[in-house]
Amino acid sequence: MGATTIFIRRRDGRIEVRLNERGRDFVRRQFERLMAVDGEADHAWRSVVNQPIDPADDVDDPLWVLERERVASSNTELALVTVDEEFLNNAEAWAWLCSLQHVLRGISLEQRLFSDEDVAARSDDELNDVRVLQLLLFELADVIES
Amino acid sequence: MGATVTQRSTSTDSTVALKDAVATKHPWNVVVWNDPVTPMSVVVIILRKIFQYSNAKATKLMMTVHNEGRAIVWSGEKDTAEAYCVQLHTHGLHASIEQDS
Repeated sequence: MGATTIFIRRRDGRIEVRLNERGRDFVRRQFERLMAVDGEADHAWRSVVNQPIDPADDVDDPLWVLERERVASSNTELALVTVDEEFLNNAEAWAWLCSLQHVLRGISLEQRLFSDEDVAARSDDELNDVRVLQLLLFELADVIES
Repeated sequence: MGATVTQRSTSTDSTVALKDAVATKHPWNVVVWNDPVTPMSVVVIILRKIFQYSNAKATKLMMTVHNEGRAIVWSGEKDTAEAYCVQLHTHGLHASIEQDS
């Protein structure tokens, strides 16, 4: 495990979030972008949030689709309401991780990053949000494991 | 005596029938697909959380995803495979199910 600087596990088990205002604004904007997917049937990120369970079947079981939407929405809502919190419990940290991961894959779909070569062909500026999200996810995963 | 023989015969038939059923019923695989942006450690902790795998097993599966483009992370009944796949989706991983051929 490497030392994390953005998320710190406290002795009482809570996870301290050491993001400054700019960092929290960035995270808030990402969670809000994810929330917006719910209201738009043809949103560009739709296929990340609602990917097929069995691609060989024309239609997924609607009960599973509803269950997935319910859990994904709950995670995003929880992440958004805790975005200004100084400390997160484990459930909130997982909600952040799931939501940030959805955002990362949504952006990668939007930017058509389907392979390592696609990523390598992009400029640092184009990959800025991707790199920030990867760093947040990397550190969050590390601290959740600790 | 006759009753005992009949009982044994029935039991054996059931066993054979059960073996046939198991042999012809292909399990459903839960497949995780590679993507070029998800950090490796994120895949590992998600697999550990959902399937309760050891760190070593989750890391090995993650490396298979990374190197081969996909990995079968679980096999079994269709309903359970669907439930696991939905959990992987809610955690933001690219996953699907397929029946073993």
